[in-house]
Amino acid sequence: MSQVKEPKKRKMSLERRHNLTGWAFLTPATLMIAVMSFWPMIQAFILSLQTGKANNLKFGDPLANYVRMFRDNVFMASLGNTFLYLIIQVPIMLILALILASMLNNKNLRCKGLFRTAIFLPCATSLVSYAIIFRSLFGVDGFINTVLINLGILNTGYNFLGHATSAKIVIIIALVWRWTGYNMVFYLSGLQNIEYSVYEAAKIDGASPMQTFFKITVPLLKPTILLTAIMSTNGTLQLFDESLNLTKGGPANATITMSHYIYNMSFKYVPTFGYAAAMSFLIFILVAILAFVQMKVGDKRD
Amino acid sequence: MKRKILSALLCVAMTATMLAGCGGDSKESTDDNKTEATDDAAGDDAAGDDAAAGDDAAGDDAAAGGNKLTVWCWDPAFNIFSMEEAGKVYQKDHSDFNVEVVETPWEDVQTKLTTAATSGDLSTLPDIILMQDNAFQKNVISYPDAFVDLTDSGIDFKQFGEAKTAYSVVEGKNYGVPFDNGAVIAAYRTDILEQAGMKIEDFTDITWDEYLEKGKTVLEKTGKPLLSCQAGESDVIMMMMQSCGASLFDDEGKPALVGNAALKKVMETYAALKEAGVLVEVNDWDQYISTMTTETVAGTINGCWIMASIKTAEDQSGKWAITNMPSLVGVDNATNFSNNGGSSWAITANCQNVDLAKDFLKSTFAGSVELYENIISCGALATYLPAGDSDVYAQGDDFFGGDAVSAKIVEFAGKTPSNNTGVFYYEARDAVATAMQNIVGGASVDDELQLAQETIESQMQ
Repeated sequence: MSQVKEPKKRKMSLERRHNLTGWAFLTPATLMIAVMSFWPMIQAFILSLQTGKANNLKFGDPLANYVRMFRDNVFMASLGNTFLYLIIQVPIMLILALILASMLNNKNLRCKGLFRTAIFLPCATSLVSYAIIFRSLFGVDGFINTVLINLGILNTGYNFLGHATSAKIVIIIALVWRWTGYNMVFYLSGLQNIEYSVYEAAKIDGASPMQTFFKITVPLLKPTILLTAIMSTNGTLQLFDESLNLTKGGPANATITMSHYIYNMSFKYVPTFGYAAAMSFLIFILVAILAFVQMKVGDKRD
Repeated sequence: MKRKILSALLCVAMTATMLAGCGGDSKESTDDNKTEATDDAAGDDAAGDDAAAGDDAAGDDAAAGGNKLTVWCWDPAFNIFSMEEAGKVYQKDHSDFNVEVVETPWEDVQTKLTTAATSGDLSTLPDIILMQDNAFQKNVISYPDAFVDLTDSGIDFKQFGEAKTAYSVVEGKNYGVPFDNGAVIAAYRTDILEQAGMKIEDFTDITWDEYLEKGKTVLEKTGKPLLSCQAGESDVIMMMMQSCGASLFDDEGKPALVGNAALKKVMETYAALKEAGVLVEVNDWDQYISTMTTETVAGTINGCWIMASIKTAEDQSGKWAITNMPSLVGVDNATNFSNNGGSSWAITANCQNVDLAKDFLKSTFAGSVELYENIISCGALATYLPAGDSDVYAQGDDFFGGDAVSAKIVEFAGKTPSNNTGVFYYEARDAVATAMQNIVGGASVDDELQLAQETIESQMQ
């Protein structure tokens, strides 16, 4: 009988030892995340319940800031703008990245490395520099206008950044230019996991490239698409640099984003940190909701 | 063996970069223009270059103590140059004195000040900072404990233009030593005016209606507008407002946009100028400067610090002249003088040697005509009235047709009406800029002013 018990004990303590080792490795990182990320989040939430300017923060009506947000016309404009970018820019960018990735996954393509680097390079640029360069590109005397005038499409320079719709389009173009490469790299690595034999089988069965793309590539890439969609949503909802440097909030708040408005509320105007914290929390909740929805739709595990 | 060496090298490289990263930040902020006239100016300088800002490590630029003072300011060619010259002037009588200037763009100064003051830990602040005049009310009222009261420091504030000093006076107390002059000038290309059959005298002491008419003539005969400005920035509007002493806030600090006859007149004037093509809007600071250097416009109206940027086009020397700005029609107390931008020196509460700082500022920026003569070369014009009487200021500037521009500008500064900037200046500025853009797009002035006032009130909560 003792012989039966001993192996069991050893098995358990080995398992326990493995567990403890695992926890021992995880603890320092967990502690740091808790202290550096979660504790400030809780404090930010407490801050968002306070009202007042500068250092005169006090606990008034707890939901005051949250109610104030929806009555603030500049904030509602920024919310609208951010969602517009989300709805238009993210699908365009992801589809473009997917197409580029499947084109560059072709085994017979020469200079693949060159193309991949060239498309990925925009992502390595500084956010501030590229925004400033785009701003001067689309200026009234800028490069784009010069080209359009020389091609005869326009007679005089069009003020892209001075009109609401064109300013938004410029921001969307800038975002697509910058982030397509980044997402393309994710799709490329996802595509490496699809066996070539699947494509061969499809070719033998007579599938056209379009059919291959939609019926084989996309379904097999679903986890990667989900990942990039969630990351892009997260990034777009927190958009800041383009709004600040490219359009400075745009003609009459036509391109201002939520983060830009939060910055204004915290540093440019008389500091109102409670209200700014409440707005940040709204962004957090929106990202969480959208991520949850996307996972429900996309993730078929369970 | 090879792999071991390679992995060892990688570890060393990683550790080295980690340490370098922890040692200091190199921020990617852009260089500021001399004053804040436009918020965008804080974003880029005339050449549009990125410049690394000062080191972030707290120990380096915090207050020094002893015989050293640390200063935060921006613009090496202007403010930093002036502060270092002041250090030299003071060193003549105090040989062991030293001033350490850390280049910090205005937006960073504002952010660091807010962060330090909000957290209650002022130890990261230097002894002296340069602060935009428009931001004085906001910062001093929000964080009164972060600044030193200079009212009884021995500095004679009457030697400065009253409008200029008023920016840094909060509840009757002085908190700043006025520095650079932001008096508004109207600069014109005399050769282009000649082509249209006009002279600089035709643009002196005029009204905005006359300016519009003459501008249309110039546009017809030469194809060039008289004025350019940045879209989305309210500089021109604020200059016009201050020229008649009007403000966006009333005496109690409440926004007074609706029913503000001066503001309505200003916005109508601006819209008329834009529609006639006499005023063109550009998108950013660099484009604004290039409208002047590439001769797209026949003139400009801005703070006198714009002369340094105009002068970068050396081939246009002798073709420019300056005079005062037009005055508003149909508004009480309209004058031809105003102010745009400008900054003042403030002593932070973190200063370890407040007496030294006060004495330093008193002997240099508030007492030394020699200093102002030295810094005139970079275009820094004094608001210190005695400096205006000096011979150096009476010298002619060939770029502007041999005119004694400096003395003229100091005279303009003395005639500028003060106005009430208000604590919520930046909120009001943005709301007015938004309203102006909508009005130019065809909206009604009254509706937009109502909306702007509501926006400001909501942001003031």
